[in-house]
Amino acid sequence: MTNRQNQHIYMSTLIEARGLIKDFGDFRAVNNVSFQVEAGEIFGLLGPNGAGKTTTLRMLSGLLTPSGGEAIMNSHSMQKEQMAARRSLGFLTGDMDLYRRLNPRELLMYFGKLYETPKAELNARVDRLIEAFGITPFVDRHCEKLSTGQKQRVSIARTLVHDPKIVVLDEPTTGLDIMASEFILQFIKKMAREEGKALIFSTHNLTEVERLCDRIGIIHEGDLVYLGDVAGIKKQTGQDTLPQAFFELVKEDKMATSSL
Amino acid sequence: MRSHIIATIFSKEIKEVLRDKRMLYLIILLPFFLYPVLFTLIGGVGASQQEKLMQQEIAVWVSPNATDTPLPEILAEDPSLKVEMKAFTEADLEGQKRTMGIQLPDDYQERLNNGQSAEIVIYADQSQDVLNMRERILRTQLTGLGDQLLNERLASKELSPEFANPLSIDSVDLSPEESGDRMMVAFLPMMILLFIFIGCIYIAIDITAGEKERRTLQTLFTTTASTKEIVAGKFLAVAAVGIVSATMNILSLVVAMNIQAYLLEEESAGMAMNLAPEAWVWLVILVLLTTLFLGALSLAVVLLANSYKEAQSYVSPLMMVVLIPAMMAIMPGVELNMQTALIPVFNVALSIVAILKGNFDTSMLAIVAAASFVYGILALYLASLSFGNENIITGEKVNWKALLGK
Repeated sequence: MTNRQNQHIYMSTLIEARGLIKDFGDFRAVNNVSFQVEAGEIFGLLGPNGAGKTTTLRMLSGLLTPSGGEAIMNSHSMQKEQMAARRSLGFLTGDMDLYRRLNPRELLMYFGKLYETPKAELNARVDRLIEAFGITPFVDRHCEKLSTGQKQRVSIARTLVHDPKIVVLDEPTTGLDIMASEFILQFIKKMAREEGKALIFSTHNLTEVERLCDRIGIIHEGDLVYLGDVAGIKKQTGQDTLPQAFFELVKEDKMATSSL
Repeated sequence: MRSHIIATIFSKEIKEVLRDKRMLYLIILLPFFLYPVLFTLIGGVGASQQEKLMQQEIAVWVSPNATDTPLPEILAEDPSLKVEMKAFTEADLEGQKRTMGIQLPDDYQERLNNGQSAEIVIYADQSQDVLNMRERILRTQLTGLGDQLLNERLASKELSPEFANPLSIDSVDLSPEESGDRMMVAFLPMMILLFIFIGCIYIAIDITAGEKERRTLQTLFTTTASTKEIVAGKFLAVAAVGIVSATMNILSLVVAMNIQAYLLEEESAGMAMNLAPEAWVWLVILVLLTTLFLGALSLAVVLLANSYKEAQSYVSPLMMVVLIPAMMAIMPGVELNMQTALIPVFNVALSIVAILKGNFDTSMLAIVAAASFVYGILALYLASLSFGNENIITGEKVNWKALLGK
């Protein structure tokens, strides 16, 4: 690889998980997980429940400190330069809800202020987000009175209020109806393709993965058991569909583990 | 730490509190109405109950030899007493409802005539409220009769009543004029500490364990706000609510006591505090410092819980930290000295007692304030340890060794 190519990769790599390890006491929840996500790329992080996905995402966001390895966000180490790394990150998991007694506008303004967005810029950005996510009809309603779909729109708008280069969405379409899901999926696509953001998208819905993700990573029992594109996993497992390939891979891994 | 970030977090927390009807009710409305209503109810029920007891008819058996004594006349003053002159024994009264007996000795008149003492026995089942009350009234009346007979005896010997009362004992209260009422001195320290705590604990639960339960806490920790800024913003909100709660409660208590005193028409029962300006300044300083300590302690502890319900199980042990020292502070003989000034909460309770009594030592209060400040900072440090712990924030199992060893 030439120096120029190296430079190109360095410039466009926005997310880098370098050998992430997380131990909870004697239990290793995540074992040496490494991957990179480029600008404009949608990366799908998959795995069964309890596989270590959320723990990996929490390490990327700085909510958990890795027992080993490092998370790099937009060239800043989440462990060593936390503020700079967090400034580049918009993060949403299923463990995050909205403040019940604030309305969407107040909520977006609150988070914008926490990220020290200048006032005029923040006002304009919040207006844009409210319009883009179709929040206007319920913008003055307290969040506790919003429907699941409305809440999720506000939550994703919240992750974007400081215009981050990196967006991590953990199961953003869970519990949503087909219309609300489609809205969110289209937005994810737009964020990556038009705005050049790096996106990590974690979901159990493999149809969504096939539609959106450029590459995927599959975590099983703490290990990253696959890293590549959707076509690659089908080829590797000899299966026609992603769900079949996924089951095959997880099954193989289990058998390999049990034979040890 | 960036002050505008702290201010942003603080104002958001306060905004949520002001929109939470339950919290507003607990902090402002409840104390506003609680004491006046409670006092009026207790006073009203007590008075009407007493009146009711006084109207109940009571049978009074009096030994027949009392006919020629002033006793029937005394008993006749109360129309609810149905007097029956009859011979009886103690055993006859057993099992009788609303019946009491008065027994005079056979030689009653003779003993009095000879200048001796005659024993009058009142039989009453004092476990019955109605009889217990009449017994007390009757005893007072008979003591009055005894005094009257004594004076007659003295007069017959041409002696003044002072002859039988060689020493007249009187005492003058030299406590400073600028002091609170005795009842206030006893209860106010406990009330102040308790209400600061109650004000702090509920908002502390709401913005820690409550946020965890509502899944809003983690979001804050993925922003660029630092742990210290988050602790500071949330702590200031807890402290502000704690102070408002304490102020509302104390004001309401003082108002209720004054209303009660007015209703009872007892000027001496006036509960208004007459404190020197310097005393007020110290009171405010100590209240602020105690809020610092209790607010930070509440935050540090209830953050460990993952839900409202779990957090509420921490409230009772924490309340003991406040109540026990406050109760100990009003025990006789306990006073503020170099040792007690260093015991958290206890020192503040003792200081408030001293301030209310009007005999405080400024240098000692300064030591208490300094100690309270140090404990407050330690509690804040403890809170920042809790908030800095990833397992606590994400609701995972807490590694105590790592938390305390950090």
